[in-house]
Amino acid sequence: MEIKKELIKREIAGETVLIPVGKTVYDSNGLFMLNELGAFIWEHLPEADIAEDICRIVTDEYDVDLDTAKRDVEEFLQRLSSHGII
Amino acid sequence: MLNRKQTEPQLSKYLHAKGRALGLPIAGNFELTARCNFDCPMCYVHLKSEDVEAAGRELSAEQWISIAREAKDEGMVFALLTGGEPFVRSDFFEIYHAMKQMGIMVSINSNGSMLKGEVLRRLIDDPPFRVNVSLYGGSNETYRRMCGRAAFDDVIENIAALKNAGIDVRLNVSVTPYNEGDVEDICACAEKLGVHMKLASYMYPSVRVNGGKYGYGDRLSPEKAAAASVRWDVLRFDDETFSKRAEAMAELRLTEEPECPVDSDEGVGCRAGSTSFWMTWDGRMVPCGMMTFPVVHPLELGFKAAWQELRRATSEIRLPPKCKTCPKRSVCAMCAAVCVTETGEFGKVPEYVCRMTDAVISQTKAAYEERKSENGN
Repeated sequence: MEIKKELIKREIAGETVLIPVGKTVYDSNGLFMLNELGAFIWEHLPEADIAEDICRIVTDEYDVDLDTAKRDVEEFLQRLSSHGII
Repeated sequence: MLNRKQTEPQLSKYLHAKGRALGLPIAGNFELTARCNFDCPMCYVHLKSEDVEAAGRELSAEQWISIAREAKDEGMVFALLTGGEPFVRSDFFEIYHAMKQMGIMVSINSNGSMLKGEVLRRLIDDPPFRVNVSLYGGSNETYRRMCGRAAFDDVIENIAALKNAGIDVRLNVSVTPYNEGDVEDICACAEKLGVHMKLASYMYPSVRVNGGKYGYGDRLSPEKAAAASVRWDVLRFDDETFSKRAEAMAELRLTEEPECPVDSDEGVGCRAGSTSFWMTWDGRMVPCGMMTFPVVHPLELGFKAAWQELRRATSEIRLPPKCKTCPKRSVCAMCAAVCVTETGEFGKVPEYVCRMTDAVISQTKAAYEERKSENGN
């Protein structure tokens, strides 16, 4: 999946944050904070074409059933999409 | 998973709270230069070009970038580029772009006079998180009197251009004997521009530029400074909000969070030297830009060691015991920087601020009663 915005991922004080860079500052008005699963998905976005790819990667890594993974992944992707990030 | 329901200040607060527990420098202030194209009497940094040369060389762009990188590696998320006027540096954008590319959220303090042409175009191409413009008056005449240049029209035009480009602009207003009559006009400007404004009528003694003489500044009396502060409250708050503020003030409480957190303990209560640091234009690191000590030298020690030493030294600061038990503490602007610039010591009561606090309390009460009688109840 293509990340359309310029965001730099950083680990700060045990938290994962996305810092807007370049003109992304105009759209974001601040930084984004990711939880553990969000940070994991973010790392694997470039290697996924569709949501199902990410669900598979999540279920391979975490002890979670497919339905739960699907729900979480879709919610996350929806949030990224609503900010124009993907 | 993607937490954007919280607003930026909340995320910032959260990171500072975690940073405090872990000892991280979450925010850095970088005073890139002491030079300025204005000449304001109350400035705590400004030196003339020849004084800058006499006092020592400014750090190079490479040195600033190197310090910023080390600070980022230790956890710095937020950086404020300030001065002097930072845009007088011809290599400003070299430092600015490098810091942004590191994943640092960069804000800029400026007098606004140079934010046009090529500078504006470059900011629009790679915008900062925020530009804080110091607005010094409501007319060219006031600017001439206070800054030595009739730059008001230019500054207003530049603020409007920044805002039109979509860049977040805030106004910082300092009230002094040179512009005390402009509070209404300045508020009207902010409203017309549609930008958030912050007014300060307490001016720290400029110990950094007057040979370390504490308690001295080209500033209003405590009572007049209080009057400007209360005037601003009257102008910015509607009847209900002002009433709530006045009623809380009578009970020695505030209704809005103070800019610098108040700590009831005798130690430093704000972020200075706890999760934030200030780099002076000549490479010294202090907890806060108003202080001259404790001071450490990251160019000699390396950033990490300097930061640890600054934290340790700041943690040993003790404020006046009398202030700790003062009933007016929560409505008073007393802090470590205030004590040391007013008295030369952290542990001495800053009498100027006691007088200002008393005046704010009594003048708020008077303004409240006047407003009530005007409204006929």
